[in-house]
Amino acid sequence: MKLINGKAWPVATAVILAMTACTAGDDDDAGGVEVLDPEGDHQPVTVSLWVPFTGREFDGLQPVFDGFEAQYPWITLDVTEGVEDDDQVVAAIRAGNPPDAVMSFSLDSVGQFCDSAAWQNLEPYIEASDMDTSVFPEAVTRYTTFGGSTCAFPFLTDAMGLYYNIDMLDAAGISEAPTTLDDLRAAAESLTVRAPDGSIEVAGFVPWFGYSQFTPMEMSVIWDADWYDEDGKSAVASDPDWAEMFEWQRDFVDFYGADNLNRFVAGQSDEFSAANDFQTGRVAMNLDGEWRTSFIADEAPDLPYDTAPFPVPADNDDRYGIGRVGGTIIGLPRGSAHPAEAFALLQYLATDTDAVVTASNSIGNVPSTHEALESPDLDQPPQFQTFLDIFANPDSHYKDTSVVGASDQELLAAFAERWQAGEIDDLQAGLEDVARQIDDEVAQAG
Amino acid sequence: MTPKQRARRRAARRYRTALLFMSPWLIGFAVFILYPMLASLYYSFTNYDLLSTPRFVGLENYRFMFTKDPRYWQAMRNTLWIIAVGVPLQALVALGTAVLLTRPRRGSPVYRTILFLPKMAPAVAAALAFVFVFNPVTGPVNQLLDTAGVDKPPLWFFSPVWSKWGLVFLGLWGMGQTMIIYLAGLLDVPRHLYEAADVEGAGPWQKFRFITLPMISPALFFSVVTGVIYGFQYFTEAYVASFAIAGQPTGSAAAEVGSPQGSLLFYSLYLYVKGFTDFRMGYASAMAWVLFLITMACTLLLIRTSRRWVHYAAGGFR
Amino acid sequence: MTVLAPKVDRALPAARAGIRRRPEPAGVRRRRILMEAGNHALLVAVSAIFLLPFVFIVLTSLMSDQQALTPALWPRPFHFSNYAEVFRQSPLLRYTWNTFVIASLSTLGVVVSCVPVAYALSLLRWRGRQAMFLVVLSTIMLPIQVTVVPLYIIFTRLHWIGTMKPLIVPLFFGDAFSIFLLRQFFLTIPQELVDAARVDGASEARVMTSVVVPLAKPAIAAIALFQFLYAWNDFFSPLLYLGENKDLWTLSLGLADFRGQFHTQWNLTMAASVLFMLPVILLFFAAQRVFVEGVTLTGVKG
Repeated sequence: MKLINGKAWPVATAVILAMTACTAGDDDDAGGVEVLDPEGDHQPVTVSLWVPFTGREFDGLQPVFDGFEAQYPWITLDVTEGVEDDDQVVAAIRAGNPPDAVMSFSLDSVGQFCDSAAWQNLEPYIEASDMDTSVFPEAVTRYTTFGGSTCAFPFLTDAMGLYYNIDMLDAAGISEAPTTLDDLRAAAESLTVRAPDGSIEVAGFVPWFGYSQFTPMEMSVIWDADWYDEDGKSAVASDPDWAEMFEWQRDFVDFYGADNLNRFVAGQSDEFSAANDFQTGRVAMNLDGEWRTSFIADEAPDLPYDTAPFPVPADNDDRYGIGRVGGTIIGLPRGSAHPAEAFALLQYLATDTDAVVTASNSIGNVPSTHEALESPDLDQPPQFQTFLDIFANPDSHYKDTSVVGASDQELLAAFAERWQAGEIDDLQAGLEDVARQIDDEVAQAG
Repeated sequence: MTPKQRARRRAARRYRTALLFMSPWLIGFAVFILYPMLASLYYSFTNYDLLSTPRFVGLENYRFMFTKDPRYWQAMRNTLWIIAVGVPLQALVALGTAVLLTRPRRGSPVYRTILFLPKMAPAVAAALAFVFVFNPVTGPVNQLLDTAGVDKPPLWFFSPVWSKWGLVFLGLWGMGQTMIIYLAGLLDVPRHLYEAADVEGAGPWQKFRFITLPMISPALFFSVVTGVIYGFQYFTEAYVASFAIAGQPTGSAAAEVGSPQGSLLFYSLYLYVKGFTDFRMGYASAMAWVLFLITMACTLLLIRTSRRWVHYAAGGFR
Repeated sequence: MTVLAPKVDRALPAARAGIRRRPEPAGVRRRRILMEAGNHALLVAVSAIFLLPFVFIVLTSLMSDQQALTPALWPRPFHFSNYAEVFRQSPLLRYTWNTFVIASLSTLGVVVSCVPVAYALSLLRWRGRQAMFLVVLSTIMLPIQVTVVPLYIIFTRLHWIGTMKPLIVPLFFGDAFSIFLLRQFFLTIPQELVDAARVDGASEARVMTSVVVPLAKPAIAAIALFQFLYAWNDFFSPLLYLGENKDLWTLSLGLADFRGQFHTQWNLTMAASVLFMLPVILLFFAAQRVFVEGVTLTGVKG
């Protein structure tokens, strides 16, 4: 049965050719960039910005935007809230009508944005405006650059640390927070309470991948496990830290029993509700981000807790004080109509101390510059200090940016899920499998 | 004019009328469908990150898909499973309830509305409600199983073995649309046929098998074909349920799509992740065209076998 | 076994109206009541199960922000104010109007364009009909995630992004799902009726509007309802085409208004969802009369 008669093929070919013509020629022009001249005459101009925040958080950012307009009175900001999916931004860039500046939660996409120049390389702008990027802690560079190009600035950031319930630890005779993983394990064992039927009532610590912020990504920072070696190949099988980490984790899980732990995790309330496990005392210690301090202050102000950097492996205890960092990013989309003004906006959002501190106070994330970290105007609970220190620590990091976005994390996470459920016998073989898959993906994206 | 010429002229006129009637669809097809279809076919032979110009790579995407991507096969298996289990089950339940509703009785409109209600709920609300109802510890389903004496009730969405069944139940809950289609078909069956069968002494099962089923077979055929086609594209429910389980609002990057253990990784879901989240639009397009071919093959198979069991209008098979 | 199809079945109701039924014997009556009761019980049970998740949705909509995230079943206390609060936090009325406009216009488009196409694919005889049907069917076999990118580019060139046009205009050019459904139903219409009208000298258009459409009212009502519902609940397309223009947002996008970076106000989202569903529930209630009771009223089916 013929579906398309003979005459249709030339038409189809013509369409494809026309379309190829349409997609070519979209590269941005190289060459010099313009930056704003603070003096001199300026025509009024409107700069558009898309942000993922919405509702109350968005309202809390108004003073920040007003501050920018006050500094640059001829610029009017047109901010669109609630753009949380990258689909819209990518579509707009593709179609040639992107916003002038954009903010995104998609930290993992930096590699892709840089590589495809969808977010413009900011280096020329940095040079032309004599911007001093040492105001950012070291960690920032690692997650905002790829292949020699810096295509993003941080907008505040996140940091992960250990939360622990002081009363529970006291009751178990533990006087200070564990600093090594062995201490953590010992503490967790003595803090765990079981119900008569063997199920877990209170967990000392939950080492289950997928629970709260406990993921292979987080653990890679703690164990200093590299995602890629110098040749750009996946290091999950070649770097022994990974295997050690997985062994440690499974051993920890076996203390609880995989099925028990799974049920315990399944029975939790929403992580971001007032019935959060840590806030209700269902777990004694937890790995969580700095935003948790705001939640606790709002929802469980009487909770006797404190924070500390997450414990590290005993044979590496001089690294204590580090943590996983990385958060919201801002950038200059390709095709931005007002790049000079937009860059000024990015600079302001990332480095202007007042702006950064105001934003941090309102949203509850960690400020992104040294100066802001030390500002007396920061209005956060005392337990927040831990996260400021973690971010300032030069060894804190995220992971190497990569062109495959979050694919490598997804592949490893899928492996980790099966690993902790006890479905994989040969760890090394399994890791080699994952490494090969990651390499295949990178090669394909190349 | 000879009879042959007359016949040919009539055929030409019929052809013109047909084309006229088809014109809205033909125009829309050329503009809104053909170009995107061909474009996506082209993309499938490229490396396309949506942001730069597509780069031609020949059959590389297809080769990777079939030889180097274990997640692809997992997605395929999951999708085939949900079609093989979900489509027949939904047809059965929908038919059963439709039959119950054919008799006019008090309260019928209310029953019908209640049974169709799930289709009217926004996907996010529905998936969330289901994840809650099936929560292994706090949800009513397991609490019921507990009181019924079941020792270790399934972990539903938290277990790789049971998670798809949770989605099957979600699908059954939304069978209202299929039910309405069957209902319309059932009501279309002329009553006198049943009366004639009564006169001949036929029992209820015989009436069902030899009158009802053939008369609604066009509707059955429709629901099976569309069930298979849309089953291959199963996306929204799995997407929303995945994120609901992870406890994150939709769109958060931290949630692993398809968990637990990839048991909820369906073909279209994987395709979306690869295309939009991983910026591999060329690969996603290749996946889409393989899906297209498979769906086409299944549909042709169904159409071919339909000649034997689908009966159109009193007057034979078509 | 062949199915009987006497030509005069459609004339029977008139004749039967004058017949009085014989009273039922007691035994038969008892059995009938038992069966009815059994049917009822089954329907009640199934309905109860079907309503369970809705109970959850409604109860959650009446909880406080915090309680909504816990496994607790019963709101303590009841926050009826949530239903007022959603309007304060989000321009729901405007979203409702937008959604109504898009849904109604696209439904109109579908009905107007799909009937002729389905007619051509079922009741007209022409070469290539079967192949064309397959082409129509094939258009729904390609996942939307993949055609959306080139489609987006087309709409950009037409300057339709940020307007409602991408969500309405294409529906005036047919929709494969609706065409398929209508075709199936058109094929159940006895050929004799159609031929009779043709023999009487009616043009195809006339046959379509005066013979086929009235007989296929249930099916047409069905596709109208389905299209309206689909447009009402659609999230992905409005997100892509209207995302940047908040004035034109639909209700499904509006549900996202209650989302924060970490924290979704599920109680308000559920309250908004309930409000979201009310119009279509009313629509369905009204519409079902068309294809259920409308059928028996016209006396077409015995």
